[in-house]
Amino acid sequence: MRLLTDNYNSKHGLKLVAMLSIAAFAAFTLPGCGGGTATTGGGTTTESGGEADGSDSKTTPVFKLAWSEYPSWSVFGVADENGLLDKDEGEMGTIEKKYGVDVVLKQAEYETTWTLYGSGAVDAVCITNMDILSPSDSRASVAILPTSTSNGADALIVADVADIDALADKEVRGLEASVSEYMFERNLEIAGKDPANFTFKQQDPGAAAQAMSQKQDGYDAIAVWNPFVLQTLRNREDCRVLFDSTTIPGEIVDMVVMGKDSLDKPGSADFAAAIIEAFYEVNKLMADPEKGDDTLVALGAKFSNLPLDDMKIVVKQTQFYKTPDEAIALFEKGGTFMSEIMPKVVGFCESHGILTKKPTVGFGDPSAQLNFDPQYIQRVKDQ
Amino acid sequence: MLETIAAFGRIAWAPIALLCRFLFGKVREPIGAPAKFALGVASILVLIASYSLLSYQRHQENPRDTTVPNASQFVEGWQKVIPKKDSPTDWFDKQQRKKYLESSWLYVDVIASFTRLFAGLSIGVIISLVVGMAMGCLPRVEAFFSPTLSFLAKIPPTAMLAVYFVLLGTDFELFIGMIAFGIFPTLAQGIYQAAKKDVTDHAVNKSLTLGASQMEVIWNVVFQQVLPRVIENVRLQIGPAMVFLIAAEWLVADEGFGYRLRMQSRLLNMNVVYIYLIILGAIGFLMDLLLSWTRRKLSPWFGE
Repeated sequence: MRLLTDNYNSKHGLKLVAMLSIAAFAAFTLPGCGGGTATTGGGTTTESGGEADGSDSKTTPVFKLAWSEYPSWSVFGVADENGLLDKDEGEMGTIEKKYGVDVVLKQAEYETTWTLYGSGAVDAVCITNMDILSPSDSRASVAILPTSTSNGADALIVADVADIDALADKEVRGLEASVSEYMFERNLEIAGKDPANFTFKQQDPGAAAQAMSQKQDGYDAIAVWNPFVLQTLRNREDCRVLFDSTTIPGEIVDMVVMGKDSLDKPGSADFAAAIIEAFYEVNKLMADPEKGDDTLVALGAKFSNLPLDDMKIVVKQTQFYKTPDEAIALFEKGGTFMSEIMPKVVGFCESHGILTKKPTVGFGDPSAQLNFDPQYIQRVKDQ
Repeated sequence: MLETIAAFGRIAWAPIALLCRFLFGKVREPIGAPAKFALGVASILVLIASYSLLSYQRHQENPRDTTVPNASQFVEGWQKVIPKKDSPTDWFDKQQRKKYLESSWLYVDVIASFTRLFAGLSIGVIISLVVGMAMGCLPRVEAFFSPTLSFLAKIPPTAMLAVYFVLLGTDFELFIGMIAFGIFPTLAQGIYQAAKKDVTDHAVNKSLTLGASQMEVIWNVVFQQVLPRVIENVRLQIGPAMVFLIAAEWLVADEGFGYRLRMQSRLLNMNVVYIYLIILGAIGFLMDLLLSWTRRKLSPWFGE
């Protein structure tokens, strides 16, 4: 092998090597040093914390909410836009100032928000009553606010399928172990059919909607949610809805859930109240005859950039719990939601292998792993 | 019997062989600059033509198809990504210019994503360089890192997102960390292999005999010779770094390429998606060129 040392040891080369290596060493050692100083620094801040507290105003507690794009959850994105809540840490919206709590809004993909919540990276999460069952086994949870229920937002879209019986020969594609499959089986049950005679095949809803729009072979029926329902119907005129979640309103409930560990932190009740109030404020804006359309368009932009007409359909199919009274009625002890619906949902999850261990579900019961608690809504209502 | 088949085969093959010779030329046969250019252009034209054909067929089948957009749909898509507010009356007014630019998806996303990409790449490269060089030169360091590195190199960082959430939170640090740790195992291994195998014991011993210190051997002998390989390895890691960034942004971000791609593909707005992919490819291509150029400038002896 030819060597470079003899003819290439120019001064330029030496300088470069020196510079690069210093940079490399600095970068490698600095994070370490930085970490070291940070820990010692941490010590000093706690020591000097008392002084800082005296001169400065008291530190505002920070709480994080993870939300994903869904009609009743994108409300929090709209609340950020309207200055009610500021999504960034250290920035305060009007409601945050009122309660003296810093709400951080973290937007992420739906299933990632579960990981965020499960790993403790956020204090609260927007999730359905079905999907929260599994995480609440490892992180005890409290449902603080129901936001909406699917009333047509989940649908089975078919092409060239005459009726439910004709469906038995086809494959239905949709997300397994999700509200789609739940909606599918519940509708079969209502029609008096045996789900065992039908095939439900795993497919990401976005991919299923895309394949259906492209008229690919084998895609005769898909079980998806909005915006995929609207999107597919708009892309293909020969598609129609065979059945949807209008047969089971109030069964698939979208909620805001908070970790019990986070609720033990100081300022948590204020955070819950800020979230709840922001939700009802945006609902009021949507009902406002003047600002309603603009708010809907803003919500559409946060949700999926759907135009106004589509958004009007969307909020009808995703029925919001617009007022504290509706929400409190749902979470009430002894109501149908408690006595019939949640046991049905838990049973479904158990029989489909979604749950290996059943979490204890309670209503206003602090010892339950998943507790539906209307007291935070009550507080906002009583103001 | 077999011979007849073989003979027949040779005769049948002859025209195909002739055609291949005509199309592809001979092994290592030099071509001129104009031919090189023409073939490059032809490849792009073939790409565009086949796409257009596919798009045309799709629209014949379903005129409202948005999954394989045609030219007019691309124009619509482009209007969605460029600035939407009125252009500023005074371009030198910082406030006006900022407001104008920030109304553009493309501007916001390019700034967000490429800040993350550059920061992540730089940190990843620096860590890999130090570890890789140390491993290539010092057998003790090599013995310590080598099993973990080859193990870690096979694990997709996106699959252990939960670990990253706990370690790095959910903001800027997360993206930096995903990229840096994502490229680190492979890059460090590449640098380590180069430092170990490209520099002969002969060269090391010769410089030691000539009176070089340990550090001088590492920096003046090993590093000099390994530098072009380092740059080549970094060049190969741009692709993975982008994949890690897009994957992370896809899951947790409210601006950036990954976020926009997710939101737009949800709505089947492929006209926006493909525009973003083209821009992504173009920027990656430019970074590639820049690194090749840097390598030629820093180590001209390395050749092409």
